[in-house]
Formats: sequence, structure tokens, C-alpha cells
Amino acid sequence: MEDQAGQRDYDLLVVGGGSGGLACAKEAAQLGRKVAVVDYVEPSPQGTRWGLGGTCVNVGCIPKKLMHQAALLGGLIQDAPNYGWEVAQPVPHDWRKMAEAVQNHVKSLNWGHRVQLQDRKVKYFNIKASFVDEHTVCGVAKGGKEILLSADHIIIATGGRPRYPTHIEGALEYGITSDDIFWLKESPGKTLVVGASYVALECAGFLTGIGLDTTIMMRSIPLRGFDQQMSSMVIEHMASHGTRFLRGCAPSRVRRLPDGQLQVTWEDSTTGKEDTGTFDTVLWAIGRVPDTRSLNLEKAGVDTSPDTQKILVDSREATSVPHIYAIGDVVEGRPELTPIAIMAGRLLVQRLFGGSSDLMDYDNVPTTVFTPLEYGCVGLSEEEAVARHGQEHVEVYHAHYKPLEFTVAGRDASQCYVKMVCLREPPQLVLGLHFLGPNAGEVTQGFALGIKCGASYAQVMRTVGIHPTCSEEVVKLRISKRSGLDPTVTGCCG
Amino acid sequence: MYVPPRGSDDRRALDRQGGLGCASLRSHCREMAQRLLLRRFLASVISRKPSQGQWPPLTSRALQTPQCSPGGLTVTPNPARTIYTTRISLTTFNIQDGPDFQDRVVNSETPVVVDFHAQWCGPCKILGPRLEKMVAKQHGKVVMAKVDIDDHTDLAIEYEVSAVPTVLAMKNGDVVDKFVGIKDEDQLEAFLKKLIG
Repeated sequence: MEDQAGQRDYDLLVVGGGSGGLACAKEAAQLGRKVAVVDYVEPSPQGTRWGLGGTCVNVGCIPKKLMHQAALLGGLIQDAPNYGWEVAQPVPHDWRKMAEAVQNHVKSLNWGHRVQLQDRKVKYFNIKASFVDEHTVCGVAKGGKEILLSADHIIIATGGRPRYPTHIEGALEYGITSDDIFWLKESPGKTLVVGASYVALECAGFLTGIGLDTTIMMRSIPLRGFDQQMSSMVIEHMASHGTRFLRGCAPSRVRRLPDGQLQVTWEDSTTGKEDTGTFDTVLWAIGRVPDTRSLNLEKAGVDTSPDTQKILVDSREATSVPHIYAIGDVVEGRPELTPIAIMAGRLLVQRLFGGSSDLMDYDNVPTTVFTPLEYGCVGLSEEEAVARHGQEHVEVYHAHYKPLEFTVAGRDASQCYVKMVCLREPPQLVLGLHFLGPNAGEVTQGFALGIKCGASYAQVMRTVGIHPTCSEEVVKLRISKRSGLDPTVTGCCG
Repeated sequence: MYVPPRGSDDRRALDRQGGLGCASLRSHCREMAQRLLLRRFLASVISRKPSQGQWPPLTSRALQTPQCSPGGLTVTPNPARTIYTTRISLTTFNIQDGPDFQDRVVNSETPVVVDFHAQWCGPCKILGPRLEKMVAKQHGKVVMAKVDIDDHTDLAIEYEVSAVPTVLAMKNGDVVDKFVGIKDEDQLEAFLKKLIG
């Protein structure tokens, strides 16, 4: 509704109450602007719904990391007797108790976000919004009331949802996705995870870790887009620690059996034959699609990519319509990460209302895959570096190491590995760092700062390590791939 | 129908609260007073005895329109909202919705203790039963309303709940006291006695 001719309801309307959306809204409110956020969660095909906060809080990073922690604890309990603890093995795991604890924490975060919006004087509407024109959205609130909201500036941050393989018979009816797994009240039991994404690997990883019979089915390579040497080591570790793999296989059909279990039929591309298996749960983790379909973007004139349906933006996060912007997972060509959405959102708001001209830097963004053995990375993969600079101009330093904690516990450290991809000419600028091992996220974060500051291998060599840690192995890297020498670190001191 | 503004009553209520000596409570209550004024205006349009279970509940539509319909009020008994299922005990009940809160808390002749709690809140699970027990001991001089903040987010936000558990003491529709977090039985006894007066 327009109060007077030309005056709109808000300075800023944010569509989507996730990591990016909430960050924008709060930043703009802090700058004294009149802001509204609209957030709505369409229930998953299985009926799962959740509160304010977006994917990360409800069905992503937060519950994922908590369940990953639950799985890691299982491993530590197994190690414990070696350190003198008199723990009766095996120790059973209760899904219900874990799920309730995780779900309760998520709900406390939903509430926290709601209170924050209230405190910062951001108006919040729980409505499914769609564009009426380039300055106005409409939505239907609970009880059927239609609401119209207009704003000078609009930021779209609606994120994405898991993709369903609708061409596979029974996929929609019988399968679940990451939208559902964290909200299950009962254990998923024997699970088939279909996909090769980090979502697939992380989910399969914690399911295996809490003692469930877990299989991953993938059509081709794991972790597309990530360093492939590291990705295959991640898989190797999972395979040698209880996760079953069906490589080169693609499902064709899912049926429900009389006893309630699911029968999956798939084609094995290596043999050309069909095979079947029985599972309690089938989890699709084959990618995510942007949440743009119901926005009526054409009414606003916002362009999307014809391939992905993601919103097209320039380096200022501006869409094809000058006063409409987009951030987060819904945007084409950006890493789908919470901290990126948050930072891009805040910088955007500072440019819009704070007089800043700082653009978001999408280079050297660190991330971590929270598989049972974690993989942290920042910068270029080895293959990207070689593609960009040529093999002769790239030097890769690497090492196999053994975390001290693994020794007494007798844990297998075959895949504990770190490599640094550098330019060959002095001072050997660091192009990328890849770390496979415990606490990879904690290890990688600090080095991301170094790389952002333009660290060179020369500086790495002069950085003293902290002992005894896994992290120090990064600054102790001395053996290059080119030398052909054995990169196994022998003994800890020297 | 013309309803005179209740300004003077609110001033008396505010003076009462000023006497409690809690500056933040005073300013808090000043903001609240405006909101509660609206609630009471709406309530006064529908003149009826405050319900402790005898009257059939009102339809929410009636409470939302500030105009009074000339033909009087349509009271449609809502079969889904039997009072009995919301009762936890003789002196404790769960709030069903906004109008229910209006009904049984704002319009209550008896002072009401409102327990804002959440399923995910550990301390709430300790405070809840303890408070219920202490309320029951007051022999009906005070009753307790429980509000799940996830089910009634708007209500909780309206009453400025941030951390849980948050307990409000309400008398004649005014918030006269409040605490956040766990209290022991003696502290709860004192809190309730102060409310009863």
C-alpha cells in the first residue's frame, strides 16, 4: 500500500529469512532504515517444515555439524579404552535422543532470530511472497489475509532446496532429502544415499558413524568441483570405515515392499547390468535448485539463468533491475556458503545505505567438508592451478602425517594428508591449501587469512609450528611432488 | 457505542507500578499500557464475565473488529476448543490463542502468572512444575497461564519475551512484575504473595 503518492512502505524489503536475508535486514536496520523481511518455508514433499533462519540453521550447517559431532563421539568412545577409560563396548546410539537435542537447539535458534529482528526493529512477515511489480510483492498470511508490501530497494535471498529426481519412479513418494533427515523422529535405519555432493558424503558419513548400515550410490566422481585427489582420499577413508559404495551406478526405480522397506533398482554402468537392494530409507542428495519458481520474477523483470534458474547478478549483486539485488544460494555463479551470503549481504547494504563502495571478494573462500575425516580447503585445487598457470609454473608441497591422538588409539591415518599448491617462481605465492584430517575447519580458517594476505611459500617456511598439532604439518611442508620423494612424515619432532 | 478512554485507570496502574521502584519496569509498562489499552478496549466492547471455564469462547473475528455490531455479539461455541483439554490443573491452563489470552489473562479478575516457556528450553522444564506447585498452594488466589512461545510467537514477541523462561505477573490486565530464569520455591512464594497483595 502506498501511504502517499510515490512513498513506499519500506526502504528495504528482504525476501528470504536465511543467512543472507537476515544479515542484510539487520545491517540496514542498524543504519536506521525501515526494513521488512518476508520468510516462508514450503513444506518438503514429505511434509517437513521449519522456522525462521533459512537452510543453514534448520536443514544445513547447524544440524549437520551437530550430527557429525555425534558420530565423531562414537569414534572417540571407541578410542577411549586405549587411554584408560573402562567403557563397555559396543555403546548403542539412540537416534531419538540425538534428534530431539538437535531439533531443540535449532528451535532455540529460530526463536533467537525472531527476537533479534524484533530488537532491531525489523518488521517480519511469515508469508510466501511473489512479485506484483518491480517494487511490490504480495503474499498470503495465515488466515488467508493478503498482504502487499512495497519498497524502494529489494534484496532476494530465497536460497535453494534439494533437487528430486522426478524422472525416477517412486523417488518423490518414497525418498527423503536433507530437508527431512535432520527432522526425522525415528532412526532412518538402513539408508541408501544417492549422490556425490558434500551433502551426500556428510550425511552418509554421520549415519555410518552412529552405527547405521549406510550405502552411497554415485554415478561418477565424488565432490565435483573440489580437488579430485583430495576427494578420492575422502572416499577412501569412508570406504575403509564402514560406508558401502556403489560407484558408477544410477537408480532407476524405487518401490515400497509389503513390510514397509524400500526396494531400489539401479543400473551399474561398469557391468551394464541391473541390480536391486533393500533399504529403510532413500536419501536423495543430487544437488540443489534455486527457490525462484514461485517468486513471479518476470513481473519484476528479474533475469535468471536459462540453465539453472538462478538469478543473474553483476559484481555489485545487482540483478537486471537496478533496485533489485540478490545474494546467497539463489545467485548464479557463487559458492553456496553461509558466510558468503552474510558478507555479500552486509557489504551490499553498506553500499546501498552506508556510503561504501566495497565489493564482495569471492576469491580464496575457505570451506570444509565435514565427512568423517574432514577436508578443509582454501584457494585453487591442484588441477585449477595447473589449468591456469601450466604444470611447469606450479609447485605442490605435500605430506602424509599421523595425528598424535591416533597413535595410542591405533587409528588408521592413511588418508591424513596435506598439500599446498604454489607458484613455482620465488617467493612462491600460495595458490591453494588442502588439508585432510581431524578438525580441518579449525585448521584451515587461520591459513585462509594468510592466503588472503598473499602469503608465499617462503613465508610459510619461516612460520614456526605449534606443537603437537596437526595444523603445524602445514608449515612443515618441505617435500614437493616434483621431487618424487616419499612425503610421509616420520616421527613427530624433526 | 462509545467507550470512554481508560487513560486515568492506566495512570493509576502506572503509579502503582512506579511504587515498585523498578525504573525499567515503569518504561516497559508505559509501552505495554498502550497495547493493553487496545486490548481492553476490544474486550470492553464485548461485555461479559471473565471466563474461568463457564462461558463458551468467542470467535476470533469478533475480537478483531473495533466496531461493535449493532445486533450485539454472535457467540459461536467452538467445539474444537473445549476448556477442559487446556486445563493442566485447577489453577493452571495452557493458552490456546490470542483471544484465549485476552479472555483468561487480560480480563481475569484473579491475578494471573504467565509462564512463557519453550519445548527446547531445559530450565523451563524445571521452573514449570515448580511454579505450578507454588501457584496451587495459593488456593485459587492466583492462577497460572502457560504460553508455548513457538506456538504463540506473536504473543511472546508482543510481551517482549526474549530469554525463556520468562514469567509475568498480571493483575487487571497490567504486567505488574516479571522475572527471567529459574527461581527456587521460596523466591516463587514471595513473587506470588506480592502479586496477590
